[in-house]
Amino acid sequence: MTPTGATPEMGGFETRGWLTRAVRKITRGVITDTPINPNEDISMNEQTPIAIDNGVNVEALLGARQAISQMPAAGQFTWRATCKWQTGVHSRSPVEGFFGLGEDQDRGASFTIDADHPAQFAAGNAGATPLEIALSALASCLTAGVASVAQNRGIQLNKATSRVEGDMDLAGVLGVDGGARNGFNDVRVEFDIDADATDAEIAALVAQSQKRSAVFDIITNPTNVSVSVA
Amino acid sequence: MTYATTVIIGAGQAGLAMSYELTALGIDHVILERGNIANSWRKDRWDSLRLLTPNWQTRMPGGAYTGPDANGFSHKDDFAMRLQSYADMHSLPVHTGIEVQSVTLGPFGYRVHTNTGHFDCRHVVVASGACARPAVPKLADCLPRNLPSFTTFDYKRPSDLPDGGVLVVGGSATGLQLARELQRSGRQVVLSVGEHVRVPRRYRGRDISWWLDTTGLMDRGYREVDDLARVRRTPSLQLAAGHETLDLNALQAEGVQVVGRLATIRDRHALFSGALRNHCDLGDLKLGRLLDHFDNWAAKHGSERDLPRAQRPVPTQLPDAPRLTLDLSSGEVSSVLWATGYRTDHSFLNLPVFDRRGRLEHDGGIVTAAPGVYVMGLPFMRRRKSTFIDGVGADARDLAKDMTMQLSGAIAA
Repeated sequence: MTPTGATPEMGGFETRGWLTRAVRKITRGVITDTPINPNEDISMNEQTPIAIDNGVNVEALLGARQAISQMPAAGQFTWRATCKWQTGVHSRSPVEGFFGLGEDQDRGASFTIDADHPAQFAAGNAGATPLEIALSALASCLTAGVASVAQNRGIQLNKATSRVEGDMDLAGVLGVDGGARNGFNDVRVEFDIDADATDAEIAALVAQSQKRSAVFDIITNPTNVSVSVA
Repeated sequence: MTYATTVIIGAGQAGLAMSYELTALGIDHVILERGNIANSWRKDRWDSLRLLTPNWQTRMPGGAYTGPDANGFSHKDDFAMRLQSYADMHSLPVHTGIEVQSVTLGPFGYRVHTNTGHFDCRHVVVASGACARPAVPKLADCLPRNLPSFTTFDYKRPSDLPDGGVLVVGGSATGLQLARELQRSGRQVVLSVGEHVRVPRRYRGRDISWWLDTTGLMDRGYREVDDLARVRRTPSLQLAAGHETLDLNALQAEGVQVVGRLATIRDRHALFSGALRNHCDLGDLKLGRLLDHFDNWAAKHGSERDLPRAQRPVPTQLPDAPRLTLDLSSGEVSSVLWATGYRTDHSFLNLPVFDRRGRLEHDGGIVTAAPGVYVMGLPFMRRRKSTFIDGVGADARDLAKDMTMQLSGAIAA
């Protein structure tokens, strides 16, 4: 994490509540305030603390950054979902707690994601396909990053929408062509951003959000995945 | 003699500059050097290496370049010879062929143990270099056993490598220079790059070194940046000696195939990151900000007339779909060259001076956990130019001053 790229993943949920409290808890007596030096540098970006509000609590994120750099164990998180088959190719995944900052965390809410396939696949159409959920995860992770980085750089974001597309060859999953990949052959995200910033600053927001995006990382880099049966 | 007020470990530019300062201050000292003066320049680098900075910028204290080719780039061996004459000219007390085995606490402060006995001293200056060892990632262990691999310490010249393609891993100055050299030797190079720092060799009629120096960026102090740890990790500028720009566009024009960061090796396949476009965008944007900084400086200093406006470099060009895999057993490449950076080797310090990751902790070269121990030549140690030949003089002066204060404190007490 860099000060100009607070973890987008942390921008995605309520940062004013538990994160602030948790950071305060683990930083008590450990951290002293370090002033941010406004000097620009070729390897960093200007930081201009102006009164702008993208709804991101940058102070909490920077506090978390500093806390975790001093207490690396606090940065070890485990994210979870459960998934229950409904019928056909329809499944439902509630997400609730997660592990982080040294203990199980309760977000005080439960969210449910339904996944299914459309009628064209002779399915029930009770939710988006898992592929679309993956695309949505990528775009929303990048968007959270854009908002967080903008806040940290003192850039007011007025609008940020994106269109995300992934190309795949169905011959892969259907086993028609052993040479075809199951997953995406190419993924494209196109942002449309209105912000009080120059084009170069907006391009830098988008570039930095990729640099610090967890979902961008897991899509662009290999990850070990183990699947077992209890 | 087994006592000296100060023992300097290493007779490269940093150790010699420190010796020059101590000589001027009348502090008795010795320099212990495992090989000969400028040993790393002579032995641990590849044959074709020339300095990345122009000769005029070789400004050792009391030894600025005065030769006929101020804008040229010296071959490493010529520079090594210049360091030798510098030591001779100032009669610096260099003891060659002495390998330091450990530094421990001693009766006067510290004891430096060597292959020929020990030295007791008050101060130790560790000037053994930021590039004492090649840094090779763990995944190097996953290479197929029969695929030869080289570090930048093993590699001297293209003919050291078997014929055929070569995977060069690393997008900094070393990786790009060696990729070009190997491609020109007739080998197909696949170059794996992650985040990198792209700069043009020349801009608006001046060398990049002139811009960095003149606009004050080289002198930026370590307390003036807001994320020192990150700045210290920043990879080296993509540069080569000479007047041509060496970047990914230039390499691709010569036929080098550029791929993303080497993410892992699995089932004898190298897998590259799909984030190459982003890494190039970041490099291009950072380059744009650097050139904006230069332009703003020129406008502010009324230098517009002396500095003709120049085209900005074109964005980094990449294929539409850069390859993501390379079958390491297919014969497409017959060797791998790790240009994945360098690391220090301070393992001889038998003192409690390391952080939990094993790195020497220091405050601008002053090792606070061991008063009287100093280090030199590390990235952004006291200023941006700390790892540059041009930067050792200012650092040596600062640290020598700290030593003098320590000594006068000791006398007053």
